[in-house]
Amino acid sequence: MKPARLVAIVFLALVGISALVPRLWTPDSYETQLREAPDAPPSARFPLGTDALGRDRMARLLYGTRVSLALAPAAALLSCVVAALVGGLAGWAGGWTERTVLASVDLFMSLPWLFLLLTVRAVLPLNVSPLTSLSITFALLGLLSWPASARVVRAAIHSLRDSDFMLQARASGVTPWRLISRQLIPNVMPVLLAQFWIAVPVFILAEATLGMLGLGVSEPLPSWGSMLRELEGGDLWSQPWIAAPAVLLAAVVGCFQLILPREDYSI
Amino acid sequence: MLLAGLASALLLRFSPGTLVDERELDPRMSQASLAALRAKRAAENSLSAGFVQYLKAAVRGDLGQSTSRNAPIADLLTQNAPATLRRLGIGLVGAWFAGLGMAILVARFRQAWVVESVASMAAGTLLSLPAAVLAYFCLTAGVAVEIVLILVLVPRVYRFSRNLLVQAYGSSYIDMARARGISETRILFAHVFRSAAPQMVALIAASLSMAVGAIIPIEAICDAAGLGRLAWQAAMSRDLPLLVNLTMLIALATTAAMAIAELAPLRPGESSS
Repeated sequence: MKPARLVAIVFLALVGISALVPRLWTPDSYETQLREAPDAPPSARFPLGTDALGRDRMARLLYGTRVSLALAPAAALLSCVVAALVGGLAGWAGGWTERTVLASVDLFMSLPWLFLLLTVRAVLPLNVSPLTSLSITFALLGLLSWPASARVVRAAIHSLRDSDFMLQARASGVTPWRLISRQLIPNVMPVLLAQFWIAVPVFILAEATLGMLGLGVSEPLPSWGSMLRELEGGDLWSQPWIAAPAVLLAAVVGCFQLILPREDYSI
Repeated sequence: MLLAGLASALLLRFSPGTLVDERELDPRMSQASLAALRAKRAAENSLSAGFVQYLKAAVRGDLGQSTSRNAPIADLLTQNAPATLRRLGIGLVGAWFAGLGMAILVARFRQAWVVESVASMAAGTLLSLPAAVLAYFCLTAGVAVEIVLILVLVPRVYRFSRNLLVQAYGSSYIDMARARGISETRILFAHVFRSAAPQMVALIAASLSMAVGAIIPIEAICDAAGLGRLAWQAAMSRDLPLLVNLTMLIALATTAAMAIAELAPLRPGESSS
């Protein structure tokens, strides 16, 4: 394994552990408001200072990391499940089913993804509880991003369907259900797994963009996106530590780029 | 495009609060006025009739009224489109100039690993940041909005075109051309570009779609007037009629770009199948 890849894995593991056990770094909760210390600069007590409400930025960053890092894979899983169902149906059935599915995929893909996300997010209520906004944000990411993966899955299933071993299995009288469960799914799994890992950093970036635009996870629940909004109200020159979420986000996505095959993170 | 519009109308019809009008809370409204208001709103929100009516009016140039700005949507689009189109034009030209330039340099001089490492690191860093964060950093540094769009697009153009050019330069006929003493400039323009042209045209269409996606956070964060900021403001104020029109406009632009990309690689004697 290349050293850079190893460093990236170790860094991601450290970030993951810190997000799972934030108390390792800070005793505070993400919502505790220390009224005696609003806008405090970095200190031993608050390594990244506090925000205008006196909340420890380090605690918020770690809990926000937990939200972003846990829910991006959840959204990626949802996206892969939808892609597998839709792409699988199109590739397996062929004919007009395939043509209809491909037309709907083209329809989805004709719109820039962020624009679609913005439109659908705006249709849903904006003033909801933090947990609902969290669920809405990541469900939307998962439900709107399946088309590209569905195309890949369809192509994989299409070629598998016409392969020699499938023909032989069919000729031997293997039932369709057994063909799908024993031959098709195990062979298409690596494709789905690759799509899953490619989607994770894309969703992390998408959540950050939505959060910065005020359409992501709502306060007081922290996420990288909602924490990045603080950049807009702050002064980067006099308070450079407010850029910590951006630095961590770039480092995490950069590590994913080192680990995963090169891919475009279009957002 | 029509399907995109219908899908948007469907979202609009079933979104929470569609059939609610805050004017109904006005105590001065009589029962008759309230009934008339509800009847008008129900007619507007009938999916089939409403969408057909919308299309008929759109043909006449009437795209409806923006609920948040209380202004004709056609006027809002014509006021904001030129700035966005100019930004998209500058951004795309700049990104292609820089991205393709770097890709040519890296693909042509494979031994120049320093150039490749620096370009790859810069591309990786830019790809690791959302467009909105890049926009904020550039805004803080006093950089123009067009430059932000260039920074968002350059790494994508660079990575794709670098792969295409490296593949083209690796062909055996390029070695043959070099052996015959053909100049590097001629090899680049007559052979490498020619071989990579179909994918390059597809990439141009894809970069337009990327640029349209990136312009929303960039204009919103930089507070620059344009269609991107208009879309963001419409989303924040739940101005759904405006969003539906923007959806259709963007669907039209990206579908047209993709259709051109699909047609462009066809040379005489080639078929699309």
